[in-house]
Parts: sequence; C-alpha cells; structure tokens
Amino acid sequence: MTQEIKTVPFTYEVLSQLEMKEGILELQIGPAHAGSGHMRVLAWVEGDTVVKVDPDVGFVHRGVEKLSEDRLYIKAIPMVERPSLVDTVNANLGYVIALERLLGLEPPPRAQYIRVITAEISRIMSHLYGIAIYGIFMGSSTVFMWAVADREPFIDLLQELTGARVTYSHIIPGGVRWDLPKDFADKVEVALRYLENRMKDYEKVWINNPVVMARSMGVGKLSAQDATRLGVVGPNLRASGVEYDVRKNDPYAAYADFDFEIPTFKEGDSYSRLLIRVEEIKQSMSIIRQALKRLPEGKVIYEDYYKRMSPLMKEIYDKTGRVKFTLMLTSLSPPKGEAISRVEGGRGEMFYYLVSDGGKNPYRFRLVTPSFRNLPYFTHVMPGHKLADIPVIYGSIDYFPPEADR
Amino acid sequence: MSDQKTPRKSAFGEVKGHIDALATGFKYFVDPHRMTLDYPAEAMELPKNYRGFFRLVDEKCIGCSLCEIVCPSNAIVMMQLPVAQSPAPQAGAQAPARPGPKVKKRPVVDWGMCIFCYFCVDVCPTEAFEPSSIHDLSYFEESEYRPTFEGFLKLPESPSKNSKKVVAKLDEKNGIKYEEKGDKE
Ligand code: SF4
Ligand code: SF4
Repeated sequence: MTQEIKTVPFTYEVLSQLEMKEGILELQIGPAHAGSGHMRVLAWVEGDTVVKVDPDVGFVHRGVEKLSEDRLYIKAIPMVERPSLVDTVNANLGYVIALERLLGLEPPPRAQYIRVITAEISRIMSHLYGIAIYGIFMGSSTVFMWAVADREPFIDLLQELTGARVTYSHIIPGGVRWDLPKDFADKVEVALRYLENRMKDYEKVWINNPVVMARSMGVGKLSAQDATRLGVVGPNLRASGVEYDVRKNDPYAAYADFDFEIPTFKEGDSYSRLLIRVEEIKQSMSIIRQALKRLPEGKVIYEDYYKRMSPLMKEIYDKTGRVKFTLMLTSLSPPKGEAISRVEGGRGEMFYYLVSDGGKNPYRFRLVTPSFRNLPYFTHVMPGHKLADIPVIYGSIDYFPPEADR
Repeated sequence: MSDQKTPRKSAFGEVKGHIDALATGFKYFVDPHRMTLDYPAEAMELPKNYRGFFRLVDEKCIGCSLCEIVCPSNAIVMMQLPVAQSPAPQAGAQAPARPGPKVKKRPVVDWGMCIFCYFCVDVCPTEAFEPSSIHDLSYFEESEYRPTFEGFLKLPESPSKNSKKVVAKLDEKNGIKYEEKGDKE
C-alpha cells in the first residue's frame, strides 16, 4: 500500500500562498501535551492532505542558558539535566566535558569508563522511551506500557548507583560522584539479558507486525541529502543513511576504546527510524559489556582533587566510594576563554558552548539540543502527507518538547 | 559501514507476522509480567543511598554556609539562632575582650524548592546532614514545606512506614521482581 508521496517544495513562499486558498482548514494540535510534552502543532489541511505545518515551540522553556549565568558553574549541573529528562546522563556529560575543557582537567580512566556505562544505560532508556512514544502515537498502548516498564530495570540500576531515579547529577568536573557498587556488573548483565529476551517479543508484537509496517513504511521519507541539508541529527539522520555519530566522529569520554558499529538505514522513513533505535540499543548493550569487562582500577576523581580532600572526606571516599565536594569544586573559576563540547545524546548530537570571563559564574552558556534540530521534520517532511500521518511522523522522530525548548 | 536491511513484506510474511503478534500477546495474557506495586499497601524498600529527605545534626554543624552556597535551587536558608549561654569573656592580651558569638548560623531547607541533588550533603565538611531514603511525603499546605529549625532536626515520618515493604530485585525473566522483606526492623 506504500505509494509514492508527492513532496511539496521546500519554500515558505509557495506554502504561504496556499494559506490564502479557499477550502484550507487550519488545525491546532496542542498545546496541552500534544504528545510527548507541551507544544502546539499548527497544521493546514486541504481535505485530508497536509499542506503546511508550523510547530509552535517554547511552551516549556526553562531558561537554562540565562539562569546559569548567575550561578556557580557546578550549580548548572542539575539544570542541564532538566530539559531532557529521559536522557539526563548524556546532558550532564556534555556540560561537564565543556567545563573540563575550560578548566583543562582530564578525569581518570575509571571515571571515563563509568561515564560511558551510565551514558549508554541512559541511551537505552531514551530509545525505549522513543519506542514507547512511537507506540502510543500509533495507538498501541501495549508497546507504550511495555517500553516504559522496561526502562524500570535500568532506572533501578542507576538508582542503586546514584540514589535517584531520573535526575542523577552523577558526573562532576574531574570525575563522577559515586564509584560503582561491587556487584554492579552482575546486575547490569541481568538487566541486559532481560532486555535482549524481551526485544524478541517486541519484534513479534510491534516491529515485525504487518500493521506497523503498513502504517509506517514509506511515511515521512527524508533523503540523505535533505537530511544533511536540513541539519537533522542523531538516530533520525542515521535512519536516512548518513553515517554520523559523535561517539565515532569526535570521540569523547572513553568511546575511542570500544568496538561498536553505527547502524544506518537507506530508506529514511518512519519505519527505519523505529528500527534504528532497536539496532542502537543492541550496540549500547555491547558497549556496556565491553566497558564493564575492561573497567580500569583507580580513583573516580582526579588525583589533585583527592589530595585536597580533608581527612574525613578521604575516609568517606575510601570506605564508600562517595566523592565529597571540596571548596575547590564549589568555587570553580576557569581561566578566561571559551570551550565547546559535543556528545551523542539519545536523540542526537548535543552541543555545549561555555564562555568564561574568569569569574565564578559562566559568562555565557549555550546549549543546542537534538530535538530542536529535528524540527524540520514538521516543517519539511509532514506537508504532502495525510493528516493521519502526522502522529506517525511525530512519533517516529522521538521529539521531546522540553528538550527543544531548553 | 553497517547498512542494515529493512525487512520486506511478503504475503506469507504478513500472515506469519499477524500470527506471531497475536501469539505473543496471548503469551503475555496468560503469563503477564507485572512491574507495578500496590502502593500504599505495598511500598518499595529503597537502597540506603537513596536521596530522600535529610535532617541536620545540630552538634556537627559549624555554620560555615557552604551548603547554602552550593544549593542549585537556593532551597537552603541560613538562620540566625541565638546561642543559649554566651562563653565567658577571655582575659587575654587584646584590649577589648570580645564576647563569644551571640548567634549561630544553621541551615534550614525548604522542601518545596529542594530537588534532592544532595550537593549540600556532599559539600558539608563535617557530614552534618543525616540522609534517609524517605521520599514519599506530601503536605496539605504550602507553608508546611518549610520546616522550622527544630523541625529540620528530625526526619519526617514516612506515610508508607506501615505498608508491607518489598525489595526490588532485578530478574532475568521478569525484569524486576519484588521480594518481601522481613516485616519491621
Ligand atoms: S539536596 Fe540539593 S536542592 Fe536540596 S537543599 Fe541540598 S543542595 Fe539544595
Ligand atoms: S550543615 Fe554543613 S555545610 Fe551547612 S553550614 Fe553546617 S557545617 Fe556548613
């Protein structure tokens, strides 16, 4: 049933003329939780065909960038986590890497490995959430419930490590706040094996389900060329056949040490955007296993920092692996300059830019999130489709309004 | 390069796909994987390091204000409290004998603003905060979110303290399994 879809030219001039035409209906989807968060999608339809879509973003703007300007550097850590609540580790990691580049520190290898492990667990959770959202957008509450529940073992793992369920604030400049508990590797293995088995059932119920295939194959196509031109990022870009992943192209943390593949698909349709998330979960599992196997010994915070701890703090670290904050960490004032960092978050490339004027607060902090960069799917891919395809495309790109609005 | 192949549809594959989906659905209908808890009849026993409500140990606090400085959500207010008995003035070489401080500074947390990041707990040089895993609290009035200094010296009471406590265990088949914990400690 997949038919070729006529694509409307990518110019607003052409589209705005359509607005004037008679018989065009304006639809407002949202803004009260139109899917994965508060946003409004304005859609103009002619009959059943979408002629123009305008995503109205900004309803859940948190002001992370501006708020950070009158706070200590370290205080921005919980704040950068807030926009992408299902992918907090990667958000935290990117900010800390930028800060470390400003300060000129290099965390010890064990901390780097722990960062990779938690970041990959976070990616699995983010992709599961993406699959869940896709499911509920296509009317399958089964998959929604399954995928959301299957995040639970991973939440449990990170809860055991950090003591929180979602906002871990685990990564700090120079290392991480808690060392891995003793039996962490075994527990991770149990959770991974559970998800592996479960993925087989996902394939039967959802991924290879003919209804899903018929509904999403060929819907929301974006060619590799257009994807690069529009600047979409992350799994969506790779589903269009562009092999680009920050973990490989610009390795950070300990990613250069691991063997993993970047799955890509040629089609660039909604179905391949679903498949790519499944494939990436498999890759993440392999990275976690490699990292746990080769986990280096040593401190989780850099040596100089440990030396400056008081005897009580050292005792706590040696006994429990908990890093106490010293005065040095709380009053970081990096030398004048600027730094950027990029990390591959669950939804794509996250970009951080920090400017220091030598003071205790960031002079300027800029955060570019993947969801915002995936907005062209609304403006450029949805037009030309049927109205009922809007949820399919929206669900397939794993768009998260709070992340786009920052 | 790892271009993956998208499975293509065939008539046979379509029928098989439907049957597979229905069969898997039926499997879970017969043997459901439940991960939910019947709260508040049952409540999860959280790990010791869970970041829940905490209290101040007055004797340990030295009033350094570091916790107030580091709190990301500005939830901590340093209170000026009168010190009960003022120490005897020192008969030293200094010309005007200075009396000891009349006030001491102590932190109080506004639970309505706290995000439980535990920066304050980790920054305290004397470990003056005593953490707990109590997390399930609610209040009737907004003002109750702000404890008094005396209120901050003791831990709040967990509403699920009388519920049946279960421990979450990772399980290869079910994801998470809840095991009953010995009634009370
Ligand atoms: S836990 Fe975090 S938010 Fe709460 S009082 Fe302490 S520092 Fe502030
Ligand atoms: S609780 Fe700790 S950090 Fe806060 S004022 Fe007292 S001693 Fe200082």
